Amino acid sequence: MKANLSLKMIGEWIGILLIFSVMAAIGNWVGYQYPFQESLIGMFILCFISLLGLIVEKLFPFENVPAIIYISLIGLFVALPWFPLAEPIIYYTSKVDLISLTTVLLAYAGIAMGKDLDSFKKVGIRGIIVTFAVIFGTYIGSAIIAQVALMYTGMI
Amino acid sequence: MVKDSKKSLLNDYKLYLTILIISIFSLAYGTIKLPIFSNVNLIIFPFIISLFLAILFYILKPFKWVNYNQSKKCTSLILILIGPLLVKLAIASGQNISLLFNVGPLLFLKELGSIGTVLIGLPIALLLGFKRESIGMTSSICREPQLAVLIEKYGFDSDEVKGFFIVYLIGIVLGTVFITFLVNFLCYVIPLHPYSFALATGIGSTSMNVAAISSLTSLYPELSENLLAFSGISNLVSLIFGIYVYIFISLPLTEKIYNKLHRYFK
Repeated sequence: MKANLSLKMIGEWIGILLIFSVMAAIGNWVGYQYPFQESLIGMFILCFISLLGLIVEKLFPFENVPAIIYISLIGLFVALPWFPLAEPIIYYTSKVDLISLTTVLLAYAGIAMGKDLDSFKKVGIRGIIVTFAVIFGTYIGSAIIAQVALMYTGMI
Repeated sequence: MVKDSKKSLLNDYKLYLTILIISIFSLAYGTIKLPIFSNVNLIIFPFIISLFLAILFYILKPFKWVNYNQSKKCTSLILILIGPLLVKLAIASGQNISLLFNVGPLLFLKELGSIGTVLIGLPIALLLGFKRESIGMTSSICREPQLAVLIEKYGFDSDEVKGFFIVYLIGIVLGTVFITFLVNFLCYVIPLHPYSFALATGIGSTSMNVAAISSLTSLYPELSENLLAFSGISNLVSLIFGIYVYIFISLPLTEKIYNKLHRYFK
């Protein structure tokens, strides 16, 4: 099912990520007054690692391993204390605020949702209540188990 | 058809300008604090503002350069743009790896928390008159990995999968809003440690994870680095192992409880 990796595809990913980097860096500067250049370098680092993850997913033959897992693993690896470039990577990416990044992403998400609004209306309030209960149940269930386990191991 | 949409992913400068303007406006406007009770605030983050503004741009007629095509484009763009966000969280995890070694096996236990979904969600769904749909709706937080399992087990046109899509769609539209509200509200109401809440934010949905951890870090700014680390690794563990907990524990449990309970709800 996987499409083959092509230079054109990589070029497109780079373009998409570049636009996103510039937007997030501007937003970061407007919202949190981080220096624009440093946030932009931080964004480039975040995007470069994402790009690696996207490429690795196409190159590795494992089915059912989505790119998000490779991306998370590479991101974790490059920030480990014994990775030689960890220090600059941590410094520059800390200049990108999580909230400004999320704000730009959710602007895309809002437009993406537009087309689903009708099917969403049909389900109505009953669906909304159940969805809320589901999210509530997952969050509170995990938090309680985490609390018990953290107390058991003496972390808190 | 695929080729057409590929060609035009990058050259729609009006779409990108619109998104830039929405983002700048939301971030410049900043975070809003709405007091609900005496010491409980509902915090509205710039990303909630930008989400609703973007939906408005889609709905309102004058902005006719944002329509169905742009909506489809954004759907494929998001799959790529979620990457940098994951990296940001992963870096926090790598940076604090020693902290995470201490937590260790705990992260796997936390996955069992998804059972809370069934225990709370299923009775409510049955009360509201859902039938077999309720199995798809309440056996998980309804993200893509679980869909694959449900389709394999029940078939694409089954009620279970229909139910799944109800929660899936509403989760996409309102999930970030719900979770932001819950994070804010629960930390006042239930006195659990912020670390426990941080681990709980890794629920296998990246957008909800991000919304939840952003809220949590602004509530406890002095702990933010550790909170980010816990949340990032917890979400990764959910993404990788959540599916096994779903197949072997949550879904069979939902079936069992449904079979016991459904006759009482006619």
